[in-house]
Amino acid sequence: MLKSKIIWFIPAIIFFLLPLSCAEQRSDPILKIGLHEEPKTLNIWLASDANSKRILSLIYQPLYLRAPDTLDLIPWLAADQPEFHPDTISYTVRLKQAKWSDGSEVTSADVAFTANLIKEFKIPRHYSQWKFIKKIETPDNHTVIFYLSRPEAIFRDRTLTTTIVQEKEWSQIAENAKKQKKPLRFLLNYKIDNPVGCGPFVLTEWQKGAYVHLKQSPYFFGKNRRIDRRLIGPYIDDILFKIYGTSDVAVLALKKGSIDMFWWGLQPGYLKNLQQHKGIKVLFNKKSALYFMGFNVRKKPFEDVNLRRAIAVLINKDFIISRILQGYGTRMDSIVPPGNKYWFCPDVDLYGKGLDRKERIKKAYHILRNAGYTWVVPPVDNNGHVVSGEGIRTPDERLMEPFEILTPPADYDPLRAMSGLMIQEWLRAIGMPAFSKPMAFGALLEQVKGRHEFDAFVLGYGRLSLDPDYLRNFFLSSNDKPRGWNMSGYKNRYFDQLANQSASEMNREIRKDLIWKMQKIIMADVPYIPLYDPKLIEAVRNDTFRGWVNMLDGIGNIWSFCQVKPVSR
Amino acid sequence: MGIRKFIFKRLIEILVIFFIILTVLFVLLRLSPGDPVSRIVDPTMTPEDAQRLIEQLGLNQPIWIQYGYYLKNFFLGNLGISFHYGQPVTSIIWSRLFNTIILFTTAVILSALAGVFLGKIASWHKGERTDTWLTLSALVCHTLFLPWVALIFIWVFAYKIGGFPLTGMISAEIWADPSSGFWLKLLDVAHHMILPLLTLFLIHFGSYLLIMRSSMLDTLREDYILTARAKGLTEKIIRNRHAAPNAALPVITSVGLSLAFSISGGALTETVFSWPGIGRELVFSVSNNDYPLAQACFLLIAIVVLLSNLVVDVLYMYLDPRIRY
Repeated sequence: MLKSKIIWFIPAIIFFLLPLSCAEQRSDPILKIGLHEEPKTLNIWLASDANSKRILSLIYQPLYLRAPDTLDLIPWLAADQPEFHPDTISYTVRLKQAKWSDGSEVTSADVAFTANLIKEFKIPRHYSQWKFIKKIETPDNHTVIFYLSRPEAIFRDRTLTTTIVQEKEWSQIAENAKKQKKPLRFLLNYKIDNPVGCGPFVLTEWQKGAYVHLKQSPYFFGKNRRIDRRLIGPYIDDILFKIYGTSDVAVLALKKGSIDMFWWGLQPGYLKNLQQHKGIKVLFNKKSALYFMGFNVRKKPFEDVNLRRAIAVLINKDFIISRILQGYGTRMDSIVPPGNKYWFCPDVDLYGKGLDRKERIKKAYHILRNAGYTWVVPPVDNNGHVVSGEGIRTPDERLMEPFEILTPPADYDPLRAMSGLMIQEWLRAIGMPAFSKPMAFGALLEQVKGRHEFDAFVLGYGRLSLDPDYLRNFFLSSNDKPRGWNMSGYKNRYFDQLANQSASEMNREIRKDLIWKMQKIIMADVPYIPLYDPKLIEAVRNDTFRGWVNMLDGIGNIWSFCQVKPVSR
Repeated sequence: MGIRKFIFKRLIEILVIFFIILTVLFVLLRLSPGDPVSRIVDPTMTPEDAQRLIEQLGLNQPIWIQYGYYLKNFFLGNLGISFHYGQPVTSIIWSRLFNTIILFTTAVILSALAGVFLGKIASWHKGERTDTWLTLSALVCHTLFLPWVALIFIWVFAYKIGGFPLTGMISAEIWADPSSGFWLKLLDVAHHMILPLLTLFLIHFGSYLLIMRSSMLDTLREDYILTARAKGLTEKIIRNRHAAPNAALPVITSVGLSLAFSISGGALTETVFSWPGIGRELVFSVSNNDYPLAQACFLLIAIVVLLSNLVVDVLYMYLDPRIRY
């Protein structure tokens, strides 16, 4: 009796639940996007995780954006290019007619409020881009004049690309924050349920742990306008963000049609499978990223530039690209990624480029031998044959102490962990006692950036800004301090001079010249050896939506979301 | 010792242990390398920004002052604000706790019931084909690698056959639709639960089966079983009324602790099935040095485990009157 009940009960449940599974396959004009993790917050000042930033980028908008193809600064919320007045070191920016998602007008007061809020609360990650603003004037509702306390090159490319918030939404929060013992913490922790932006989308619902639903804003200023030769939409009414904890499942969701795009870079291992699937298109874009090997130049043996140059020769970057990155990456020969065409300097030392293994070892051997290094067993014998080198001695005739190359663990980033291992082997071939040591990412950063207790490391920046001011940040002598970005402890007065000059140079061409010189100096002194810039592999369904805009750092950009439309239209 | 006195004594012990856990947790989390700010690899975060954030989070103060605030806040019921979410950790945990309980606790209960039932059958048919198959399948299931099983289930049942959702706890299409009623939403959650539940069931039932089988085999050798047979009782009554209740005691301990630990969820299951539970938050908070969130998660687990131990002990006294502490 019981058995027969069970036999009927199971099909009954399946009968009731099956229609639910069909609900996921319903075809409607909602753009469904897979995210790797849920956003942490909708408070724009707290958001530091990629997914919060992605969602907020569709809601809050900046004055200027980058053009997808040229990367030039394009007026977005601004009406035209900023006007520079050298005599007063000021910029005039005029605003388009625009509305916030609550229907009120975007005015110059909102822009001034945003700037003052960032300055007053010294909001981390924003303050450094606004602190040099001396005064802001708003002669009318659509004109803002920024007075700079000193010429600052980053103003145009960094400050003017900061998102603007609504005074009405934030002024009361700011007032309340000021009354607190810890005003900044109050501001950062303030819970924003319905962010008011002026972007193409507004938040409809955030079902925690499940999905985020955005719908088209009826007040978006760009709708039906032609900006950068593009007729701006958006052409979709809704976006649904779903969470997929692993790429494996997200790829299945994409193939099944549960999502139209997975907003996360894919590993090359998925490529073959995806490319064979009808209805899926794989897109490749360059990243503005830098993965590199860094040295602690504060201490022996890496204080010696000849040793660093020899290591730069020994590292086979092409092998890393072809074998570890399976061909989906770009060799990096400078600190500025090659995708950042305007600022990238191609005329730098290329070290071992084009050399085979034996030629590399011979070249490195000659650099070191000329610098006074000796060996128990030299890596090149008297007949000029490459052999396994042993017992390298530094110019002061001491045996080189074993040193560690710290890398993130393989479960965090297999590419960097594997690169560390390969570098270890290449250095051992010439007799250097190198040991690759993967360690927890937090511990690695603490050791390298906080305490400066390391020999060498392999790290990376996944998303560098397009303005190359980071070059100054990474190598300026004064940034060699705990938590400072000069992790290597590199010091060069001439570089400092050029770096400071570049920071205040308002003429783009002159600044480009300075940035190129800085790249040449760094690549001659090699405190960092740039290794690779991985290609961003993304996948979308091409039978549901079309019009994705390729750009440096991928198709997940505001241009895409304002251009993408259902295939049926 | 009377049962009331025993419970009172155990409660005092629990309080002492909990205080020790409270302290050890505080120290361990701060001993882990880095801080919440050091992991932000963003050149726009200047050292001055980092220092300002550290000060705002109160992490610049001497460790004993931080500890003092920690104890004071704990006794005032304030577990702090998550560094990354910017929200009180209690609200984050509450929003995840139900999801974890509904999946993991259900999985423990179902797998324990099945394990006890099948373990009983296996022991009764010792040496026969039924026993061999049940024991073998229990061993195989128990040693399966959870993420692999989960992915295979997703691939077969959700992708290939297509009767189940790929991941998540709810369908956005149903929950975002205002016309969806309560029952439809409830069915939707049940629908999403089936695959993760099946995975957890498959992984866990084997251990209960093996414990029950081994305990039953010991019990069946007892004199009172022989007496029951001599009295002419049926095999079914001997098995279900005389042997099984006594053999179930070790399983109760195991189930009690599993139930307690089930509130910590499972990071792997939650990740593969994108199930919004506590397990992922726990891993996130520890790896990102989000001290308040990590502390709150661990303290919740600690308190449930300590209390469930007490419940198991009391249950033992009830199930076996010979046991007195």
